[in-house]
Amino acid sequence: MILISFLTALLMLFIYKKTSNQAAIKQVKSQIKASLLELRLYQNDFRTLLSSQKELLTANWRYLLLNFKPLLIMIIPIFLILAQLNLWFNYKSIQPGETFLLKVKFIDEVDMEGINLDLKAPKGLTVETPVLRIIDEKEADWRLRLEDQVSEALIITVNGQRFQKEIPSIKNSLGRVSTIRVRKNLWQELLYPGEKPLPAESVIKRIEVVYPEQRLNCLGIGFHWLVAYFLLSIIFGLALKRPFKVEI
Amino acid sequence: MGRIKNDEALKRREFLQLILGSSVGLFLSPAQAFMRTTGQKETELKVLALGFDGMDPNLVNRYLKEGKLPYFQKLAASGSFLPLQSSLPPQSPVAWANFINGTDPGGHAIFDFVHRDPKNYLPIFSASESLPSEHNLKLGKLIVPISGGEIRNLRQGRAFWQILEDYDIPSTIFKIPSNYPPVETKQKTLSGMGTPDLKGYYGLFNYYTNEYKTVTEEYGGGGRVHDVYVIGNRVEARIPGPNNPFKEGHPETYVNFKVFLDPVNPVAKIQYQDQEFILREKEWSDWKKIRFEFIPTQSVSGICLFYLKELRPKFKLYVSPINIDPAEPALPISTPESYARELARKFGPFFTKGLPADTAALENDILDEKEFLYQDDLIYQESMAMLEEELKNFHSGLLFYYFSNTDQRQHMFFRLIDRNHPAYDENLAKEFGQVIENTYREMDKALQLAMEKVDRRTLIIVMSDHGFCPFRRGFNLNTWLLRNGYHYLRPGLRPEEVTLFQTTDWARTRAYGVGLNALYLNLKGREAQGIVSPEEKGALLKELASKLEQVTDPLTGERVILKAYLSQEVFRGPYVSEAPDIILGFNRNYRISWNSPLGNFPREIIESNPQKWSGDHMAAPGLIPGILLANEPARLQDPALEDITAGILSAFAVKIPPEITGRPAFGKPD
Repeated sequence: MILISFLTALLMLFIYKKTSNQAAIKQVKSQIKASLLELRLYQNDFRTLLSSQKELLTANWRYLLLNFKPLLIMIIPIFLILAQLNLWFNYKSIQPGETFLLKVKFIDEVDMEGINLDLKAPKGLTVETPVLRIIDEKEADWRLRLEDQVSEALIITVNGQRFQKEIPSIKNSLGRVSTIRVRKNLWQELLYPGEKPLPAESVIKRIEVVYPEQRLNCLGIGFHWLVAYFLLSIIFGLALKRPFKVEI
Repeated sequence: MGRIKNDEALKRREFLQLILGSSVGLFLSPAQAFMRTTGQKETELKVLALGFDGMDPNLVNRYLKEGKLPYFQKLAASGSFLPLQSSLPPQSPVAWANFINGTDPGGHAIFDFVHRDPKNYLPIFSASESLPSEHNLKLGKLIVPISGGEIRNLRQGRAFWQILEDYDIPSTIFKIPSNYPPVETKQKTLSGMGTPDLKGYYGLFNYYTNEYKTVTEEYGGGGRVHDVYVIGNRVEARIPGPNNPFKEGHPETYVNFKVFLDPVNPVAKIQYQDQEFILREKEWSDWKKIRFEFIPTQSVSGICLFYLKELRPKFKLYVSPINIDPAEPALPISTPESYARELARKFGPFFTKGLPADTAALENDILDEKEFLYQDDLIYQESMAMLEEELKNFHSGLLFYYFSNTDQRQHMFFRLIDRNHPAYDENLAKEFGQVIENTYREMDKALQLAMEKVDRRTLIIVMSDHGFCPFRRGFNLNTWLLRNGYHYLRPGLRPEEVTLFQTTDWARTRAYGVGLNALYLNLKGREAQGIVSPEEKGALLKELASKLEQVTDPLTGERVILKAYLSQEVFRGPYVSEAPDIILGFNRNYRISWNSPLGNFPREIIESNPQKWSGDHMAAPGLIPGILLANEPARLQDPALEDITAGILSAFAVKIPPEITGRPAFGKPD
């Protein structure tokens, strides 16, 4: 997490430097400082005070506008990085003996009561319950138990059509856990990049294994990985802005 | 241990709420986290005490003879096996307090499960009390406590592990009863019997059903039935939580949940907060966390078990009492506070409610025998796993470890080994007649585990607080007092409609019964409307004791009360003045009735007990001693609970403080 945050900070500083108007930012920040100084110096002069406040607000507004473009550009790589990090940090993998849910969401056109469903679990997995169909939510769920390391995928057969879902391997430290496989759709694929998408014409919208969320631990305090990631990236960004001569 | 059953569920709920109600919100945790824990001394001798609540010497003897308890046999052969004199009365909170303090009840002030407030004659719990925050800031409907509330352990005097602490001798005290909230100490302690659930009750289950017969808003005896409807293969309901101390009127908090049923398969998914899990019909969940929010920044966490009893034709879902989450305890359950969290880290969620078995669910036919035993077996398995862990960490000093299964299962299954019990059932006896024997054998396995793990320098003590006997017939003390001219009711309600002495004419009443073994005089200067003068007291007590000892059961011809003890004659210590005036020592097969303890006046003086709660221990202590086994010969022929306390101190060569009245049952002679 520290390394990724460091690299993110470097990347963001680079993008910010290249996409922002550094000279204008420097100038507007000087203006803000000057207005603040005026506010302190002319506390007894009401007219000057008002005028300084007006200038301060205008400078602030300009500062925000100057930041808008680089931030807009930065969102794209940040989004892609977050989607990847989510795979690595958001979920714990299941250990042998533990159970988890398998949820399959279908498209609206599917007749849930007439559907022919079958689940084939690979070696190392036991299907503990018969299928549970939630008709109005177009969902079918099972409970599975992990007995051992699984090397093959789960096979879900819907009206004779086969679909696969990989089962994340047992990990004791850092590892990639893909919990959701989605139907071909750019937005969904960007959000859940862990597995090759299901065919676009598939009756299944998504297949999900419900794994427990993971929290990062620092001195006995648990953090969501997003908190740690943003905090560390900001700290690194602020620390590196001078050596890299970036005006933020 | 004993239990009070009241037909009027609402009143019972109100009563419990009055006592414990908002305690969850009152607890502001002290800064215990950084305290040094437990004594440091490396002791030459170690003491392991296993407490099997309610283990009966007669049954132990029988199973020993039949060769069913090999490790009990081994231990007895290596040292001693004696009946252990119980407390007066032989109720668990009293008996374990005798052991904790090394005194009779006069030294610790726990005389019964229930005491009474002499100012208003109302029953109060004897073990602990919750005091609300004294200073609150009111902002509209929001209440902001300025000062912390307090939960107080009402057992007086010092616990023996506090004395050991003075000598730097480490102790771990696991779930000993009569220690909620745990008394201040640096030793490791986890509270046991007396610890409430998250709602502040001693166990309130929830039951969701669309079955017509059980559709009632409140259900007596520790549970609530919720009327639900299955619409579109879906059930929506709510789980009630603790009362909200931050809102005016302290409304009950709740968590909404949904159950999705498969249209054909016997399987359902339960969903609330961030939890979703599938259960098959007749399947139990593992522990599930549940969080109740008071205000956006304040919430408490609990844990509960779900049991999907039936899906069709009727929907039946049982939710266990919500236990305090040991990973984030909302109430003080351990010392240091981190001990509960440490256990939760190692074992995950575990039973924290004082008496974890849901006897009320079995009593009310919510769980059947098999289902009750499944849950109680979870408790046993959990106890065994934790015992193993504690034994692994047991390097010095003392380890006390408690099992509740013996007590709870005997309460509920005595009817199936007693052919003369009104609730005896031939078919059930065939299936469950071995439950008590099997339970004793399970305790033998616990002893085996202990004997295999400890080293040769360990003194092993196996003890129980009392024995057991059948509870076939119940005695209505207040009805007897009424019929014999010691108690008077004002006209209005019929006696059997009265509860909590609501129509008692205190200006004429001389005596009343509150609690399970207790009789009080309406004493001038002590009770709010007392009429019995101190001069009359002695003669009246003797008269009452003599008459009570003569009460015979017309059905059997047996005496109901073997001995009526005058507390001034039998107790010693600074708290004798707080004791009931007479303690009833019932004959075998008898006990106080279900309705008398809370100030009710049922029609019959003596009535049959048709309930599943069929074994009990409110007899004269001599009839139901506990057990004492050890791997060294006992120094006394007739040891009592408080003698074990003195024996433990003596074994560690600790000077026995003068307030301890017990004689050392172990250790080197002086």
